[in-house]
Amino acid sequence: MITLSNIEKVYQTKSIETVALQNVNLKVPAGEFLSIMGPSGCGKSTLLNIMGLLDVPSKGVVEINGQPIQSYKDKELAHIRNEKIGFVFQSYHLVNDLSVLDNVELPLLYRNGVSGTERTSRAKAALEKVGLSARTKHYPSQLSGGQRQRVAIARALIGQPEIILADEPTGNLDSVMGEEIMHLLLNLNSQDGTTIVMVTHDENMAMKTERLVRFFDGQQVSDTVLYGNFQKV
Amino acid sequence: MIRHLFKLIWNRKKSNFLLITEIFFCFLVLFGVLSLVVYNVRNYTKPLGFEHENVWMLSMRPNNDSSALNHQNLVQVLQRVRAYPEVEHASLSTSNAPFAFSQMMDNLTYGNVKDLQADVYEVEDGFQDVMRLQLSEGRWFGAADDASHHKPIVINKVLQQQLFGAEDPLGKLIRYTDTVSYQVVGVVDHYRAYSEFAVEKPAFFSRINLQEDDKSFWGELLIQVKPGTGVAFEEKMVRDISGTTKDWTLEVTSLEKMRQNKAKLTLAPMIALGLVCGFLIFNVALGLFGVLWYNINRRNGEIGLRRALGAAASQVYWQFIGEVLVLATFGLLLGVFFAVQFPLLQVFQVDSEVYLIALAFAVVIIYLLTAICAFYPSRQAAAVLPAVALHEE
Ligand SMILES: Nc1ncnc2c1ncn2[C@@H]1O[C@H](COP(=O)(O)OP(=O)(O)OP(=O)(O)O)[C@@H](O)[C@H]1O
Ligand SMILES: [Mg+2]
Repeated sequence: MITLSNIEKVYQTKSIETVALQNVNLKVPAGEFLSIMGPSGCGKSTLLNIMGLLDVPSKGVVEINGQPIQSYKDKELAHIRNEKIGFVFQSYHLVNDLSVLDNVELPLLYRNGVSGTERTSRAKAALEKVGLSARTKHYPSQLSGGQRQRVAIARALIGQPEIILADEPTGNLDSVMGEEIMHLLLNLNSQDGTTIVMVTHDENMAMKTERLVRFFDGQQVSDTVLYGNFQKV
Repeated sequence: MIRHLFKLIWNRKKSNFLLITEIFFCFLVLFGVLSLVVYNVRNYTKPLGFEHENVWMLSMRPNNDSSALNHQNLVQVLQRVRAYPEVEHASLSTSNAPFAFSQMMDNLTYGNVKDLQADVYEVEDGFQDVMRLQLSEGRWFGAADDASHHKPIVINKVLQQQLFGAEDPLGKLIRYTDTVSYQVVGVVDHYRAYSEFAVEKPAFFSRINLQEDDKSFWGELLIQVKPGTGVAFEEKMVRDISGTTKDWTLEVTSLEKMRQNKAKLTLAPMIALGLVCGFLIFNVALGLFGVLWYNINRRNGEIGLRRALGAAASQVYWQFIGEVLVLATFGLLLGVFFAVQFPLLQVFQVDSEVYLIALAFAVVIIYLLTAICAFYPSRQAAAVLPAVALHEE
């Protein structure tokens, strides 16, 4: 469960001060599939970064399973990021000098007690889930945007995290592929009980989730439970 | 993780090429200089086989051609010098006295060993006392040898091993001229007179017999004086000798001064090389630091990503240190490949051990150097906040 209370995020640069988030209160219970929508620049990625413990808010408290993150040391935070959270970045962030397979293996590299062979077999399984089994030896520069996005998704899945934070995971995929990825996420959510927070610009995708929060200018403007549309697969 | 690092470096071999070659050349230079240093230090720590404290050398240069007269004067000079209460011992010597810039060679043949090149030192019976030589076998030559038909010699152990191997050297005859042979009467442990930094070579002492050899002249007189004897005595001695030998040029120096001059000859180029090498290494280190700094800054996005995927700050830190060490390993592998050719091909006839010690030192220094250069950039990398790094990309 992720709890955000009175979150404010201000970016301070030399001349300007950008308020990216303001007075955000959000509770994401374990096992929920939440979608977030809002116009460009309204603070969605910022919010996901804060939830993913990649960034600290200027004000407010972030709690993971009831524990405020301020109480954790760097090593413990790293451990939580590694074990509990899977992140799909808006701009993929693949390491160009590593093959697709090595990129997907990365999270397990920072986990104790996972052997090299286990890493490889789990990476292959994750790539199969996103339909990229045939591209394991390729390098990111040899892939299309959509393929890169799927590698990023496979990397988020490999560690079997409790929480997946996905920043426009289908943004670069055609509708068929997008459907498949959405299906995959829905499956993870319903079968493994993975908590998912997904940023999307696609109303149809959002409608398939459990709950939709809309942002505007750094503030929550609506919070809708979508029981009507939501079907557990 | 190490495999991961090797993979990363290997995949980036193009951009790391410059760094690897830089490390490679730095290693080679370091290896060369260290080989020289190790060679010299190893020689320096070995025994010389003699003691030169309180030993002076009187050089005598006659300016006339009458060998009979010169010989006669020489005998008088010797008597005179030996009579001084300040003088403990004295012995004539060929010009290759300890630390002198002079060498004399002879080729010795014995059994299967043909023409073994050895240093010859022609000295008098008193030489053993002047230079405090230690005999390990047999005896030093003396008046008893006057009656001998052979020319008595004392050899060093190196010569003994190379000429006689396991055979007992004492009493052995070695051809000198058609009619006369050398006869080994004793063995000294060591004699390494040319320089403190030179290797010990085969050497032997041959006896000067002034009575018999009454036409010859030896221009160097080694004098051991009592401790504390100073310039006043030196001046008095030169004055006295000039009285009898008016047309001779005389010069007195101490072996200590000669030792220092000889040492300078080795140390000066070594220090110069060391400075050049140090400067080079400093430059390489600066370059390395700069490139690492640049590389790590360029890789901010990757650092942020790794942090986001669960790398602790300390893991990022050690990853970058590790990468640099892997990089160094590539350069070193290349360098070691070339360096081991020296002992393998026996270049310069130097003991393999010298190269191996130099190699080990060079490897350790390069690893330390690269680790030090990587220290600050890696710490900087570890301090990167994940969100900031990811945003930059
Ligand atoms: N590191 C930063 N420094 C300064 N300003 C930032 C930084 N990151 C984000 N911002 C600003 O914060 C605001 C919110 O950015 P954010 O990336 O969260 O938007 P977003 O909702 O994800 O937009 P998009 O849909 O285009 O991805 C923007 O105005 C942006 O300029
Ligand atoms: Mg965004």
